[in-house]
Amino acid sequence: MEKNEKSANKYGIAYGEAVGTVAAQSLGEPTTQMVLGSLHQAGIKTIVTTTGLPRMMEIADARKKPKSPMMIIHFDPKISKDYEKIRAIRYKLEEVRLSQLIEGYEEDFRTGSMVIKLDKAKLAVYEITPKRIMNALELKGTVETALVDNATIKVKAKRAKSESQAAASESKIKHYRITFISVLSTVVSGIPGIIKAVIDMYEDNAFYIKTAGSNMEEAMKIEGVDKWNIRSNDPFEVMKVYGIEAARNTIANEMYEAITTNGANVNFRHMSLLADTMTYAGHISSVGRHGVAGEKRSVFARAAFEETVKHFVNASVFGEHDLLTGVSENILIGKQIGVGTGRVRLSVKKDDLQKLKRAAEKAEKK
Amino acid sequence: MSDHSESKKETGKHGKCYVYLDGKAIGYVRDGRAFAEEVRRNRRNGIVSGEINVTYVGKINEVHINADHGRARKPYIIVENGVSKLTPELKERLKNNEINFNYLIRRGVIEFLDAEEEENAFVAVREEDIKPETTHLDPDPASMFSLTVNNIVFPEYNTVGKHSLASGSVKQGQGLYAINFNNRYDSRAFLMYYPQKPVVNTTIYRTLNLERHASGQNFVVALSTYYGYSMDDATILNKAAVDRGLGRAAYFKSFVDEERRYPGGQQDTFKIPPATAEGYLGEHAYSKLSEDGIIEKEQSVGEGDVIIGKVSPPRFIEEQTGIGMTEERGRDNSTSLRASEEGVIDDVVITETTGATKLVKVRMRSQKIPEIGDKFESRHGQKGIVALLVPQEDMPFTKEGVIPDMLLNPTSIPSRMTFGHMLETMAGKVGALEGKIIDGTPFSGKKGKARIDDYGSILESFGFDKFGDEVLYDGRTGRQFPAKIFQGVVFYNRLLHMVSLKQQVRSRGPVQILTRQPTEGKPRRGGLRFGEMERDALVGHGASLLLKERMLEQSDKWEVWVCKKCGDIGYYDYVRNMPVCQVDGPGSLVSVEISYAFKLLLDEIKAMHILPKITVND
Repeated sequence: MEKNEKSANKYGIAYGEAVGTVAAQSLGEPTTQMVLGSLHQAGIKTIVTTTGLPRMMEIADARKKPKSPMMIIHFDPKISKDYEKIRAIRYKLEEVRLSQLIEGYEEDFRTGSMVIKLDKAKLAVYEITPKRIMNALELKGTVETALVDNATIKVKAKRAKSESQAAASESKIKHYRITFISVLSTVVSGIPGIIKAVIDMYEDNAFYIKTAGSNMEEAMKIEGVDKWNIRSNDPFEVMKVYGIEAARNTIANEMYEAITTNGANVNFRHMSLLADTMTYAGHISSVGRHGVAGEKRSVFARAAFEETVKHFVNASVFGEHDLLTGVSENILIGKQIGVGTGRVRLSVKKDDLQKLKRAAEKAEKK
Repeated sequence: MSDHSESKKETGKHGKCYVYLDGKAIGYVRDGRAFAEEVRRNRRNGIVSGEINVTYVGKINEVHINADHGRARKPYIIVENGVSKLTPELKERLKNNEINFNYLIRRGVIEFLDAEEEENAFVAVREEDIKPETTHLDPDPASMFSLTVNNIVFPEYNTVGKHSLASGSVKQGQGLYAINFNNRYDSRAFLMYYPQKPVVNTTIYRTLNLERHASGQNFVVALSTYYGYSMDDATILNKAAVDRGLGRAAYFKSFVDEERRYPGGQQDTFKIPPATAEGYLGEHAYSKLSEDGIIEKEQSVGEGDVIIGKVSPPRFIEEQTGIGMTEERGRDNSTSLRASEEGVIDDVVITETTGATKLVKVRMRSQKIPEIGDKFESRHGQKGIVALLVPQEDMPFTKEGVIPDMLLNPTSIPSRMTFGHMLETMAGKVGALEGKIIDGTPFSGKKGKARIDDYGSILESFGFDKFGDEVLYDGRTGRQFPAKIFQGVVFYNRLLHMVSLKQQVRSRGPVQILTRQPTEGKPRRGGLRFGEMERDALVGHGASLLLKERMLEQSDKWEVWVCKKCGDIGYYDYVRNMPVCQVDGPGSLVSVEISYAFKLLLDEIKAMHILPKITVND
């Protein structure tokens, strides 16, 4: 009784409440509703993110690569209200390819060289020098570069290593063509993986940057970024950078977001519980046969879910014991489940009770 | 010839227009449009087959000729130079039966177009709509609808969605389904006692002779709520009308069995099974059979009664116990009535199969009187379930003493937009007053004149309200209803969904052999499945004892004896009157309640050469 009161006051729920089942039902019901109404919001935000059912599945399945990774970067309070500085950082973040910086180019397939004319204005915006572009291209190892004037670069393709003399001129042209395309798509500045960065503002006039694509490690290295206040929607990346507790919060928050943006209202504690079960082992495990359900202690519970024979055979090989503490195994064998009204037990043992009774009878006789 | 998918690109690549026959390129022409026109001319003159359809696709400059099977085609009257080829003279000869439809096809008056060629046609719906560029004329505006929709009266006043509903369920109506029903042995059939010709019907309905196979009755319907009993599509029937035969039907069910032959010279025999037969159901079950083991005509039968007694040879050939002493022990393979089946034996037929074995067909008949829970539907998708049978004296009535057969909730009309139903109510009333069949063929109304005005003036001439409303008096209180109530005659179908064939209860009953859990389904007196989600709901509520009762007590509870020493399952020895373990003998066993399915699981695991052991506390 004392235990009951204690827990009720602390968490606001009754002792023995089936929190897991209720959480599953509370998440499952709005998720089925989302199947109908999730594709009705195309083109609202500047950065489109997966929402609704696909996003829920992504989180619950613990997929390594989310469909639309996203970061929100905050800044040092000193500079966070200075738009110019934030804008400068934005250009450092966004991935810039060579093709975005040029005015035009000419290809010469006879000599295997191309002349690229750079856009000076854009170079100035991104603070990129032709020298830097040349370095980036040389790093690829497939081309040689030469500066023609301060806004023109000449690029010459190296011969393919395995190319024999017998190779037809046609395959040579193909090789040049592939090289040129890769030259134009070379990343010359910015953080790899960040496709787009948008500046936005909070109500207190502090700016923040929202990015499509996530790379927290690199973003942290940029000066002016608040290292302890970068958010990402990829739990795995958060776990790598900030640790498992942060990943837990990411999972719970992202789920809450995915459900509430669809108009449903689910208490945060349900997601919190799910995030806890997904991460308490110290790594992120998915909901399903390879994760949470597959890590259950009871053989019967696992066998009742999926791959029945596999679990029984393995249990026999390793001589497993089933203590029958969970819900599904007790339903299976026909015992009262240890949840709700089945949770309460007599704390006095049967034998002890009889001893007491006998003692009382003796006392009465005397 | 006009092409309504006109494009600037008159000639294709190199001025060639490719011609495709059934999707295969066969050549090219210079001018596709003229070519298609020429093929059409030849088709009308009978030079090429009338089965061919040709289309000039202007958008991609191609000619498509279709001659394959499976195209839906529709007849059209050809129009040339703004004049229909079906001249008044031809119409007159058609009326006098001098010529027929085929004559018109042969003479190039009517031709069939497929879906693709319709794209090249400019069709006028009515003759007066013909313009100079018109190419075809619809034989009748109603031909835009299918045959089933053409059975609905005034469909042009309803929403399209209701047509698909109505034409679907008109087929489920009980009626005179076949004239030779007396000689038929359908496994399930419904026959209405007094089917009526609809007061309002359509040309197609009459043409198909459906009046002779009517599948419903003309109900006097009032739009009234009756103390709220007609909530949510529930309808109210007049008890007296039902007693007079409204919606009454017979339900036929047939049972078939034959004397099968087995390898080894054995065969089934129709007879009352001897008490020694395997699976003998007890003397009482066979009491209604006659000497030949088959039930008699007009015998009333109920659940569990055997209809055809049959003895089959045993499943396994018995060992010889003594020389010539083996007595053939048959197996009971009789046909008996399943749960909640009852009726009177209508007919028995004994005949022979093509394999020269004896074949018996038994037809059972039972009367289906409309009751609470039966389904009725008008031809406008207005379906409803009977909620109450009201005694005639409690029904509303008019000053003439007309008492409606059915009360319909007025709120079911506006949101469904079935104005055809309202119009039929009025037209039916007019037809009943005039003693005439009213025509409700789609688009058959006179131009510029509202049907409702027509019917209204006729009603007025009979002394009724021109809107079909009437003053009704409450049968319970005798007081006049403050509002006038819309009342008329509507044709209603009684659909074959009836409670008596669907309702089912179970408290105790049969269990499955393998799992010993309750059976599923109505004919097996089964229970309703308490599934995974229902289970989760109880878990979520923490109702552990209720859950245990559902999953164990009311399902497959089983008592086993578990050995404390070895953890295996023992048995109860009734000779020694004590539980015994196969390994450790008696003395160390405890009784445990588990589900039989779990015991089965343990047995199956043992069959996999895995030994599960149970550890028992206290």
